[in-house]
Amino acid sequence: MNDENRPQGDVDEDQLLPQLVAHLREHRAKLRDEWASRIREAHLLEAMSAQEMAAETTSVYDNYVEVLETGSVEALQHYARDLSERIIPRGVETHEVVGIVLLLRDVLARSLFEKYQNDFALLNRVLDAYEPAANRIANTVAVSFVEERERVIRQQQDAIRELSTPVLPVRERLLILPIIGSLDGERARQLTEQLLNGIRTHRAKVVVIDITGAPDVDQTVANHLVQTVDASRLMGASVIITGLSPKIAQTLVTIGVDLSKMNTIGDLQGGLEEAERLLGYHVSTEEGITSS
Amino acid sequence: MSSGPSVDGSAQNAGLEAVERVLPVVRRVVGARVSDPHLAEDLVQETLLRIMTAWDRIEASMVEPYAIATARNVVATMWRDRDREARNRHRALDLSTPEAPEDQVVLGEEQAAICEALGRLGEQERTRLLAHEVSGQDTRSLAAEAGSSAGAVAAQLHRTRARLRVEYLLTMEPGPPPTEDCRPVLLALSGGSRRRQRDLGVGRHLLGCDFCARVAEPLLGRAEAREDELRVPVQGDADIVKARQAAREVAAKLGFAKTQTTLVATAVSEVARNIVRFAGRGEVLVETLSEPRAGVRVVARDAGPGMTNPQEALADGFSTYNGLGLGLPGARRLMDEFVLVSEPGRGTTVTMTKWLEED
Amino acid sequence: MSDTGPALVSILRQGSYLVASVHTALDDTQMLRFQHDLVERIGTDRATGVIIDVAALDVLDSFGSMTLRRIAEMARLRGAETVIVGIQPDVAFAMVRLGMGPGEVPTALDLEEGLTYLNGHRDGQPGSADRPPRRPQRRP
Repeated sequence: MNDENRPQGDVDEDQLLPQLVAHLREHRAKLRDEWASRIREAHLLEAMSAQEMAAETTSVYDNYVEVLETGSVEALQHYARDLSERIIPRGVETHEVVGIVLLLRDVLARSLFEKYQNDFALLNRVLDAYEPAANRIANTVAVSFVEERERVIRQQQDAIRELSTPVLPVRERLLILPIIGSLDGERARQLTEQLLNGIRTHRAKVVVIDITGAPDVDQTVANHLVQTVDASRLMGASVIITGLSPKIAQTLVTIGVDLSKMNTIGDLQGGLEEAERLLGYHVSTEEGITSS
Repeated sequence: MSSGPSVDGSAQNAGLEAVERVLPVVRRVVGARVSDPHLAEDLVQETLLRIMTAWDRIEASMVEPYAIATARNVVATMWRDRDREARNRHRALDLSTPEAPEDQVVLGEEQAAICEALGRLGEQERTRLLAHEVSGQDTRSLAAEAGSSAGAVAAQLHRTRARLRVEYLLTMEPGPPPTEDCRPVLLALSGGSRRRQRDLGVGRHLLGCDFCARVAEPLLGRAEAREDELRVPVQGDADIVKARQAAREVAAKLGFAKTQTTLVATAVSEVARNIVRFAGRGEVLVETLSEPRAGVRVVARDAGPGMTNPQEALADGFSTYNGLGLGLPGARRLMDEFVLVSEPGRGTTVTMTKWLEED
Repeated sequence: MSDTGPALVSILRQGSYLVASVHTALDDTQMLRFQHDLVERIGTDRATGVIIDVAALDVLDSFGSMTLRRIAEMARLRGAETVIVGIQPDVAFAMVRLGMGPGEVPTALDLEEGLTYLNGHRDGQPGSADRPPRRPQRRP
């Protein structure tokens, strides 16, 4: 390779990138190792073992050069998502992923400096060709990683949300739905869906909805609650509401709910006793619990 | 051009002889130029037909040369037609050459209609269209002459073609359009722009205007068919079920949860029933939206008697048929957005939307 | 409705009860015919109870719900009590949103529960499917 001193006119614009790619391929092992050591120095990807590091860096390096060559970011996007999927569960942060890609960009840029240092004009043109491509790659990887991370977070949120509205089958034909935390429209919708499907799967006859743990119920959610009670009854299940605070009772009255038509009981214990009575079990304590 | 080949008995016999004589030559000439065997056979037959027709006018010594020349002409014409057809597929006029005598008569009428339609265009519009369609002048050079851009010229040509189609169809009608809305509606259909069609209320107009419904028939296919849209004509009880099933299908495909699709299907059932009860016929259109976010839009429209007081129909308990009066107000409760537009004597349109919950 | 096609509904006798099952979505005309046929059978069979199984219905709109209520009312006039069973979760929710909340017609989860309910009522015991039916919550 003695072309460092060739006059700049000899190299066509569209020959620059291929030449550059050939250079990066030729020095693959050396450049990759240099990159890996820079990653270690920067304390990035410490969650990975040395072996994994070697495998990942090789893979990213090859993809990187391929994208430079073909200009197709699809392969890289695909790879970035794949990589993200594997490393996100192990706690790799966004700044680390962006960091290693930027390091690679700099390692490669430095090697281009060395190669073309004698022909400043050509070096400038090589860098002009390299930098936009390299920046686009860095961008793609960062965006893919962030998207993947958001997806994972969303999944986890969904899982948590499902956990926070559990439909508990306490005994045959009896479901308890404790509502804990604040309800928004979306959560209220999910709650209704879970309860109605729960009635079907558990063949429930009685449902106790305990709202002791719900601090605030606005009119929309109160409406939703009433609709849930009515829909449960259409499916043949009786609903008892317990833990109704004076404030929520007030909201219900405000939206025009006739509380005398709702089976409301002060606390969960009382609600369970009423439920057992409805189910036809004998309750040893007071006989005369009635709904208001 | 109205006299077809007249073939009497003796000429027919002579013609058959000719066929036997020239068949191998014709086969060879056509076969060398056309690889598709079926197409080649068609061309051979056509060549033979032409030779038979001209038989009495050909001198005996000239039969074979005549056959060769005819075969080459037939093949060349075929390629030219195909080429022209490919180039002109997007154009307004059918440039293929009719063969049968009755086609010639129809062609004559159509030519007259097109001439009249062309005459109804503005001077500049007509000149430009002819320069482009007939003389083959491209949009760029037209634009240079007019001092505008090729894009603008192309758009103008598109509008002119749309107008020409409408004028052509109107020329074939015995009388003028019955209302002043008719022409804009037909133009919107001919241009194929959905937005323009929506702005003009084209769907409702077609339901109410028999003239346009008939005239527009050839234009209806011009708006590109969309996968994410279903149109259900509603004329009877069974169509109510069809409409709500279509709505459920579209909503489910978009990713709505089952509870939500059932809300949409139930609302559609109510508005479709309204059409059947009050207007007799109409249509339900179900389409997906992506802006400002994903959702399903249902448009139910009819050209029935309409309502004097639409607000009344949206009040719970207002019912003019044997129901609870829950239909429209109920549908409104099931959807996120609900707009009712009704005019006595002109019909009713309900537009309602359900947005996909973001997760 | 094609008379030669598969049955859209079936009405079977079980003791002194009639079990009417809807097998597929019905349009309004078919729904009215179902109403007519069922009320007729209540008379000829001298039924004391009717179970209407609507588990196969994916939509119960205002007309469908009203027809069920009307059937129950006509059955009551002929001396039979009606219970509707099998309303699907999503259908139940849509009905409530629409404004067709639980009316005076009792509902039960499925056929078995429906039978239990009718039996409980005939013996004069409190219904085990629900407390005694409440007064209607019909909207104005």
